[in-house]
Amino acid sequence: MNLDDSILEHLRRVVDEPDLSGTRYELEGEVGRGGLGVVYAAQDRELHRPVAIKVLDSTLPPVRLEEEARIIAGLEHPAIVPIYEAGTLPDGRAYYAMKLVSGQRLDRYLNPRLSLTERLRVIQRAGEALAFAHTRGIVHRDLKPQNIMVGSFGEVYVMDWGVEGVAGTPQFRAPEQAGHAPDPRSDGYALGALLQFLLPEDAPRALRAVAAKAMSAAPEARYPDIPSLLLDLQRFQDGLAVEAFPESLWQRTGRYARRNQVLLLLLAAFVAVKFFLFFLRQL
Amino acid sequence: MDPDTAIGGPRDRFPSTRHSLLEAVAEAGTQPGDALDQVAALYWKPVYKYIRYKWHKDNEEAKDLTQSFFASALEREFFQQFDPAKASFRTYLRMALDRFAANEYAARNRQKRGGAVSMAALDFDGVAAEGMQVADIDTPEAIFHREWQRQLFALAVEDFRAHCGQSGRLLQFQLFAEYDLAEGERPGYGELARQHEIPVSSVTNHLAWSRRMLRTFLTGRLRGVTASDRELRAEMRELLRR
Repeated sequence: MNLDDSILEHLRRVVDEPDLSGTRYELEGEVGRGGLGVVYAAQDRELHRPVAIKVLDSTLPPVRLEEEARIIAGLEHPAIVPIYEAGTLPDGRAYYAMKLVSGQRLDRYLNPRLSLTERLRVIQRAGEALAFAHTRGIVHRDLKPQNIMVGSFGEVYVMDWGVEGVAGTPQFRAPEQAGHAPDPRSDGYALGALLQFLLPEDAPRALRAVAAKAMSAAPEARYPDIPSLLLDLQRFQDGLAVEAFPESLWQRTGRYARRNQVLLLLLAAFVAVKFFLFFLRQL
Repeated sequence: MDPDTAIGGPRDRFPSTRHSLLEAVAEAGTQPGDALDQVAALYWKPVYKYIRYKWHKDNEEAKDLTQSFFASALEREFFQQFDPAKASFRTYLRMALDRFAANEYAARNRQKRGGAVSMAALDFDGVAAEGMQVADIDTPEAIFHREWQRQLFALAVEDFRAHCGQSGRLLQFQLFAEYDLAEGERPGYGELARQHEIPVSSVTNHLAWSRRMLRTFLTGRLRGVTASDRELRAEMRELLRR
């Protein structure tokens, strides 16, 4: 049998598509691919709303996706995409349906014109989601730009919550993650790597120091938890000294001057007026 | 449970995942006749077309080299030397083909040998007449990859056809052939339903079942020429990657 190119392409497409017959969903198209499977956009015919459906690779055991679904379902947070339902398709593949996020992956959202404030906001939102998950005993294990979505209204979502066997992505993986069960500090490392990834070339040294501290090879040298890291970032944004960056007197003075520009300007104006009045009286 | 609707489909006709044919040959050191048959069934077309386009051989030369390659692979304990940690079996085979074709001695002394594979069953004249659909493919490696995909699907469709024949599901295969194997414009589901006097929902269900089964047969074919679950998954992704 000879299959021409058009038939071959058709077969490759339809064989890969999930079989949604007997479900409430109607397939609309592929959204993305990951290590565990493929995410599709679909329409919920009963509730008339768009959904995203993650379908497990057929060669993987269903328990992998079921575990991921259970993890996410236990994490109700504004920066974590809610799951609607999970199950098995007629073709035997495990799936779960979740909110369809319209937006961009962080690596595609990032552009040279993106302000430092916006970059730090994304880190803050992602960090808050991680910190929340850690309070529930969940470690992400594979935080990277490809696993973060920025919605069309600026909302930030952390996707692809970790399951057993995920080794992480080298650029964002803590050294101790290879061969050991990851703990929350490896997520802290990944968040530091994410911060470093997002910082522009001319980023302040204090911010680079925050990223470097979060990415210390030894877990004990890092921030003890994600909230501590976020607090240091907040200190930077408030014009305060950050824990990760010991300042010289000159740097501290410069930061103080930047933080109190208005006060210093008023003071300078007051002194100038005083001098002016003093010289006026001498005439 | 109906074996056709079980998760993964009728797997029992294929070797288990943990002990593929490739592993069996490598471990036992037995004659790799069965594995070679499966490998040859899947790879002879990609090999033939790769030879034709990479080394600009005519039909006869490419045919001889293809036959010699499979015979040579058998003689050199090809399967025992395969290391899944280094590359997929597909890549290993193509690299072996590169080495083989570059070997002048082998080229000069090629013999029409068939080894354990029945080369007479391979339709070289047919494949020569097929021509090449290479309009937008520019490298021999891409041709090899494309022909691998094509042959894998062709074999899976044949498996599916045989399965439908044996299990009396002729309507399902007919619908599949009329829709998914249609050349040119595909008929609508409504048109197929009228033609076969069945509800449209049955057309939808039969086609969904057919594609599910095709996927199962694809997996089975790939299972026979991969050495591990990991390689099987990687090859499946490669097969369906767009």
